[in-house]
Amino acid sequence: MVLKGTAYLRRYWQLYALLILPVSYFIIFKYGPMYGILIAFKDFNFFQGINGSEWIGFDGFKEVFAMPDFFKVLRNTLMLNFLDLIVSFPAPLFLAIMLYELKIVWFKKLSQTILYIPHFISWVIIGGIVYQVFGTQSGMINNILMSFGLDAIPFLTDKKDWLITYLVVGVWQSAGWGTIIYLAALTGINRELFEAADVDGAGRLRKIFSITLPSLKPTIVTLLIINLGHMIAIGFERPYIIGNTAVRDYADVLSTFVYRIGIESGQYTIATVVGLFQAIVGLVFVLGANYTSKKLADQSII
Amino acid sequence: MEQTKRGRKTASTLLTATLVGTMLISACSSNSGNEKANESTGGDKASGKASSLKVEVFDRGNSPAGSTITKNYLTTFVQDKFGTPNNINVQFVPVPRSEEVQKLNVLMASGSDVPDIVFTYDSGTFYRYAQQGGLTDLGELLDQYGPNLKKFLGEDTLSYGKYDGKQFAFPAKRSHLGKYSSFIRQDWLEKLSLPVPTTTDELYTTLKAFKEQDPGQTGGKVIPLGMSLAPSSYDPFIWSFIQPLTEEQSYTLTQQLGSADYPTLLPGFKDALQFMNKLYNEGLMSADFSLDEDEKKLNEDAAKGLVGFFSEDDMNPFYADGTYSTLMTNISDAKLSAVDVFSNSEGKHAKPEYAPVGMYLMIPKSSKNAVEAVKYLDWMASDGNLFDMQNGVEGENYTLENGVPIMKTDATDEIKNRIYNFGDMAIISNGKQLGDADKNVEAYVVGMPEANQEETRKALSISRSDTIKPVLFDRPIEAQAKYGTALQDKYKEIIVKTAMAKPDQFESTYEAAIKDYMANGGQAILDERTKAYEAMKK
Repeated sequence: MVLKGTAYLRRYWQLYALLILPVSYFIIFKYGPMYGILIAFKDFNFFQGINGSEWIGFDGFKEVFAMPDFFKVLRNTLMLNFLDLIVSFPAPLFLAIMLYELKIVWFKKLSQTILYIPHFISWVIIGGIVYQVFGTQSGMINNILMSFGLDAIPFLTDKKDWLITYLVVGVWQSAGWGTIIYLAALTGINRELFEAADVDGAGRLRKIFSITLPSLKPTIVTLLIINLGHMIAIGFERPYIIGNTAVRDYADVLSTFVYRIGIESGQYTIATVVGLFQAIVGLVFVLGANYTSKKLADQSII
Repeated sequence: MEQTKRGRKTASTLLTATLVGTMLISACSSNSGNEKANESTGGDKASGKASSLKVEVFDRGNSPAGSTITKNYLTTFVQDKFGTPNNINVQFVPVPRSEEVQKLNVLMASGSDVPDIVFTYDSGTFYRYAQQGGLTDLGELLDQYGPNLKKFLGEDTLSYGKYDGKQFAFPAKRSHLGKYSSFIRQDWLEKLSLPVPTTTDELYTTLKAFKEQDPGQTGGKVIPLGMSLAPSSYDPFIWSFIQPLTEEQSYTLTQQLGSADYPTLLPGFKDALQFMNKLYNEGLMSADFSLDEDEKKLNEDAAKGLVGFFSEDDMNPFYADGTYSTLMTNISDAKLSAVDVFSNSEGKHAKPEYAPVGMYLMIPKSSKNAVEAVKYLDWMASDGNLFDMQNGVEGENYTLENGVPIMKTDATDEIKNRIYNFGDMAIISNGKQLGDADKNVEAYVVGMPEANQEETRKALSISRSDTIKPVLFDRPIEAQAKYGTALQDKYKEIIVKTAMAKPDQFESTYEAAIKDYMANGGQAILDERTKAYEAMKK
């Protein structure tokens, strides 16, 4: 039955009222600040505000693209995210499948809890732990190596070794938490499929490849698209805290760059330009990934 | 009028929100309600026409019970001695110490709520405000209302508050200009019957002996030269290699980044790096120094008794709960001595000293109480007001000995707490001002634990001898403001990369690192300074 105008509103106004909060959240905190994007096109003067500052067109962009460090930082961002995608993206999937296969309930719950914990530890603390574990002079691993008469490995101060440290720490911190979505999706699988497979004599691996993974496909694709969209965006804390001066060639990324230029040096125009650039490239990535996935696998989020 | 004000406010809020969003840093705008919470401090009887004065104060969250950052002994003292007699209502606006610059930015951009006196330690922030036209020109006000202040600060200090020839800030006057001293394990020397090293060459021999003979029985963990990535660790080391400079060289080749001078382009810098590379590769120096930007690891190692020799801020190791006292609890017969070792080509122990300034005190352009603000600072500089704010009440807080106030350690907490934040309230001075440098230093010495006073005195005289003064231009170098922060990081990168390179790769590593430094602003600063020097000489 289709209700008309006022009758419809009178009946469902409460549902719309419920929408007010989330919608205003987006307007105030997500759309409102977009006004600040104007800074990218202005020679921003603190005391004259956004309106009072002078228009400079694309001069800010020209300046950013002329900075030798900008491209290094851009490359690092893409490189770290790409490696992260290869290493950290499949990790929760493996973990989730392994957890799903566990039959002893208490052990499963215990494992889950232990895997979740790192997600709730602040990066600052993780940074301290990393230092204690991977340090060259007094790190736990190197102490063990040296007690066997082996050479210390500069996990934190050699750029290539540092990359591995960065990735491993990332997996440790996020993989457990990442399993939640997969586990949720797994509970949706029809149990009868497994029973039928048992009857057909399928082994455990056969069932994983023929039932579990295909059922997870939409979830995997969705997460992949989201991750690709974040290719150009990178968290601030992880590279900033795990990184150090010796490995800045790899550890300096867009977010730390914006922090240094924007907050520390007060060049707001430059910082906004970089932020805007990041947003636009990010959008291109999401749309691109979505389009490709729609064409190839008939799965998409928009 | 009201309209533009509101527009500006919205703009700044939005700006903050954008920046915060982009940079994942929170808690910047969230406490903008704070300043409304401050209370007026007395003066409630003042007649209708009382003017008001708002002064920034750092909130370190350490107010003792019974007082708050906006109402305590010192705020009452200010109101009673300055406010009430002049019919001025003095209010204090707290700014959290840890987010000083961010909070100040928000206050300044808001235009209306900003205090009449604001300050920052960051010279870059001061230059930015001055450049963007946000500050009151203080030149005439100082002549008219601040004769005592002018006399107290002196020409030398005041010149640091000038931008483009105009007085836009009153820099606080620094009482002790010494920066660094070095420290050696005297007991190790005695054990090995070695003399105290007095030159860099002798130091090398000593470090080698520490490494090979391990007098501290650390089981191979000995760190002969403790190093970190903090200026106090590497500055005395590096600057001692710098060749004597002509006037022109020191003006054009020095690079001022932040508030300190950097020797990146000075002759001798490469030699310093080469020597550090040698020490690093021979295992004579902290292996993980590149991870230690706050000296935490260095001090931890020193306190554990692993470090033979290191440099630090002159009196840092000697505080009551400092490195030395922890070392003593770990190793009871340890002895740490202040020594002056690194020597330059002239045999002098050259090391940088502080500019004679502390915080930059500024009056925002939007302030309507600039006159009162200058009067307040002038009051602080006159009679014994500064002394009273820094030391409290004679006989209760301190006794005078040879013009040096000795704090009474047996005073009740209530009395001691009167001046718990004098450093943040007595803003025209950095450190105690007792008339001359020796007395100022003595004030620091008597604040140390009895057992450490002798060594503290030695460290404080080391830090003041053979010093290199900062180079000050009479005009702003814009490239420095623009690239300064980024280049500070690049500078550390040069040190780390060259020190950690294999000896045969030193040359190429050095070339590449310097090239990177120059391309990211070093060249721009050099060009601008060369031009500024030529213009100055005309």
